[in-house]
Amino acid sequence: MSVKNIIFIGLLLLGVVIAMVPENTTMPYKLTAEEMLVEVQGAAEMVTADEVAHWLVSKDPSLQLIDVRTPDEFQKFHMEGAINIPISVILKDEYRDYVDQGIRMNVMYSNGTIGSHQAWMILRQLGFENNYVMQGGLNYWFDTIMNPQKPASTSPNEEFAKYDFRKAASGVFGGGGGGVALTAPTQTKAEKPKIKRKKKKKAPAGGC
Amino acid sequence: MGPLVPQEIIGADWNLLIAFVIGIGFGFVLEQAGFSSSRKLAGMFYGYDTVVLKVFFTGAITAMLGLLFFSLFGWIDLNLIYVNPTFLGSAIAGGVIMGAGFIIGGFCPGTSVCAAAIGKIDAMVFLGGIFLGILFFAEGFPLLKDFYMSGSMGPLKVSDVFGISGGVMAFLVIIAALIMFKLGELAEKRWPREEY
Repeated sequence: MSVKNIIFIGLLLLGVVIAMVPENTTMPYKLTAEEMLVEVQGAAEMVTADEVAHWLVSKDPSLQLIDVRTPDEFQKFHMEGAINIPISVILKDEYRDYVDQGIRMNVMYSNGTIGSHQAWMILRQLGFENNYVMQGGLNYWFDTIMNPQKPASTSPNEEFAKYDFRKAASGVFGGGGGGVALTAPTQTKAEKPKIKRKKKKKAPAGGC
Repeated sequence: MGPLVPQEIIGADWNLLIAFVIGIGFGFVLEQAGFSSSRKLAGMFYGYDTVVLKVFFTGAITAMLGLLFFSLFGWIDLNLIYVNPTFLGSAIAGGVIMGAGFIIGGFCPGTSVCAAAIGKIDAMVFLGGIFLGILFFAEGFPLLKDFYMSGSMGPLKVSDVFGISGGVMAFLVIIAALIMFKLGELAEKRWPREEY
């Protein structure tokens, strides 16, 4: 058999193979399961309610709260300055600029930890960064920040410091712990972070 | 992982340098393969030499299979590959003009540069013609604009139009290429030319 025929048959076989295999097997996820396991165990995505309260009181401009609950729940109550991106639509293109960006620090919350953590896992697997989860969600937020419980008199000093801060913060957010005056945070409406996306460079057209 | 340039694994400066080296290599291989001869290229249309068809179709098939297999192995993200937008009307007209120029001049743009580089005068004249063509087109663009933009279909792939997978499309292209290679060889036997 001549070399030419061998090459012909080789090309044909490669064509058959490529026609048979399923298309688009490029991994949509940027992180492998092993990498995700490391991330989840590190728990670096978790931020505490106290941290969020601190950022809110200090009007940290990089903070962006994202409510991943349903629009109904969002209407009933949401944290100041939060935007609503229900988890069911979090992959839609219109929210892409919010969840895939490198400027703001997105803190996602739901009622507990699970909803926001699910959202975080999906976004993280796609390789998006700067997304965080508020530990304990709104339930924990209400228990600790809005209605702080006075620690027992035998508690260490840090507990009292924490309590004092929570009480002050709860006053700011209109909770029941009130008393101490802190300036109320005036959250402006969430603007889309302006990101200069790198435009796909146009490849030079080929040809002979 | 890939594509390397859009993912910025290769930076813009290196990109230029690598493109330069590949370009030199491409020109060198074209010249060595005899593509700087206008008779060889025109032979494609008269049937006595179909090397041009074989070389460029082989190149296209190699790149096509390479991309599809790389995608299969997860080495390249095909969504990031730039796809030329299709303007149907102007593409057809442009193809006819290019083909006519190919037969009349005996060069395509790349080979004319190769041939000019080794000192062929006809290639230099051809390059002058390319330059004038570019000049007239650019200056006359306002007049041609409507036609140029006609039949805009966006970055379209033939496989999407027919609703088949990229792999099946590749298989069909390979079949078509093999048939054309065979026809080319038959043509070379049917209209042979000893000296050219």
